[in-house]
Amino acid sequence: MALTSEQRSGWTAASASQRSLPYRWSYWGGWRVLAKWGGLILLALIYFPLFWLALMSISERPLSGIPFPISFRNYLALVEDTQWTGPFLASLAIAAVVGLLSMVLATLVGRAIPKSRHPGTIVLLAVLPLFVPGMSMGAALFIFLRTFLGLKLGFWSIFLGHLIWAMPFSLLMVLVLATRFDHRLLEAAEDLGASRWQMFWDIEFPILRPAIIGAGLFGFLLSFNEVLRSIFLRGTDTTMPVWNWTMAASQQSQVPIIFSLATVVLLVTLPLLAGFFWLLFARMDRS
Amino acid sequence: MSEAAKPGLLERVRTGYAGLAGGRLVVPAFLAFWIAVVIVPLLVLVAFSFFESKTFVTIYKPSLTTWSSLLESGRWEVAVRTLRLALTVTVIELLIGFPFALWLAKSCTSKTTKAIVLALLTIPFFLDMSSRTIIWRAILGQNGLINTVLLSAGAIDEPLEWMLYTEWSVSFGMVVTYFPMMVLPIYMSLTFIDDTLIQASNDLGASEAQTLRHVIIPLSLPGVMAGIVFTLGPALAAWIEPGMLGGGFVNLLSNSVESAYTALKYPVVAALSAFVIFLLAVLLVLLILLSRRFVDFGSIFRGMKS
Repeated sequence: MALTSEQRSGWTAASASQRSLPYRWSYWGGWRVLAKWGGLILLALIYFPLFWLALMSISERPLSGIPFPISFRNYLALVEDTQWTGPFLASLAIAAVVGLLSMVLATLVGRAIPKSRHPGTIVLLAVLPLFVPGMSMGAALFIFLRTFLGLKLGFWSIFLGHLIWAMPFSLLMVLVLATRFDHRLLEAAEDLGASRWQMFWDIEFPILRPAIIGAGLFGFLLSFNEVLRSIFLRGTDTTMPVWNWTMAASQQSQVPIIFSLATVVLLVTLPLLAGFFWLLFARMDRS
Repeated sequence: MSEAAKPGLLERVRTGYAGLAGGRLVVPAFLAFWIAVVIVPLLVLVAFSFFESKTFVTIYKPSLTTWSSLLESGRWEVAVRTLRLALTVTVIELLIGFPFALWLAKSCTSKTTKAIVLALLTIPFFLDMSSRTIIWRAILGQNGLINTVLLSAGAIDEPLEWMLYTEWSVSFGMVVTYFPMMVLPIYMSLTFIDDTLIQASNDLGASEAQTLRHVIIPLSLPGVMAGIVFTLGPALAAWIEPGMLGGGFVNLLSNSVESAYTALKYPVVAALSAFVIFLLAVLLVLLILLSRRFVDFGSIFRGMKS
């Protein structure tokens, strides 16, 4: 009996290695179809509004049920209206600085964490803002900066709030590659007489590059679209998501402009993200 | 003087970089900064909830007035409604998200499909919430897409009113928005499960349900808990959805925070925000205690280290 079970396991191991690796599991049964389509339907529900938004932005009556007749009036209004340009440029600038800074910080800290003594605790502390809802974090920072320290809020506090929000994502991206990094490469370089800078620039950086670029991109986009923390931290300044939110929440008349503005932003953002993911997965396929 | 300073500066930058590269300075400096801008504000938030405000002025004397005012009729109702809505949304997400993540991690054989689905799940994190949410008004509204289609098809005689500005529309908006936050952590934890474990379970004669219950679910619990926290947190503090899809008819905690904020009642803002964090923490601890009965957490971390 023992022999047969051994034979059996031997047979399984052999067959498992013979089969090409990503093979199907049969434990799922008919539920697999349901699981797949349940998720895909929700994905469709995420993306259909974006499509509809773009369609309604070229509609004569954006808040009606049918997109026809088509007109580009909203885009003309968008060009003529100058209210949104200030918040838009502010968002762009803040997002650029947040992206850059979270990229640099995540790289510096992400490389250092695996070498430190208590990496688990440090990572846990660093990703804590992920677990705190935006409203609570915004309120906490507002009360701390405005009421407790008595500072005047503005773009700088929005920036700080965004950095706290984006940093954990950037850090996790860098950590994924940094923890897998083979430090023998650096030892070899040191033995061959490389300077510290050469060791970083010629060896570590190229290996970490996808994560570093991803950290910057994530930081930029997370900041560019952040609204909950900004609502608390804006002082008298306004960013684009906050402007969108106030417009959408207050008057219906401004809504069409938001539609066209959001569509323009989408048309820029989506290809950028698609390109990034394409590069990411193409790279993962190769390695 | 300046010529002498130059190499000195360069030297200093070099040694500074060496210090940074060695990681002796970076982590402590980062931690100090992080504690100052994350931990301290959160502590101040909790501390502030024990103050009270009278006539727009915050009185810095510890008291429980603000907390006890949360138990007042209106606010308590709001808190209960928020909790009920958030839990409903989380359960729905879990019911759809876990099977989907399982399919994606273990049954989806095409690499391209997997990559596309993962990208589609990640992209929504970077899209503007307000415009994404307000467009549902044009779809669910009285003159919206669905009503127009149904009316012209003759399926209904008058527009359906329950689709917008109800609790239903608010939870629907949340389910759609927070779906990736549930799926991605579960997916991550499922990819860490070695396929040979599932194969071994099958070979030892376990049924599909037994494999799911005794192998897959216990091993994916950390991801499931992360997913629950990432969904429940934003759902408890949902700001955009009740505003845009509730149309003032669905009062949640965020509405109370907003009105307290505009009324300069900062202790109330602090107490409500701390309350959300507190609820999350309690639920997380409960989840951990519950799941302890099924899985030994130490073993997971031991497994991760090796």
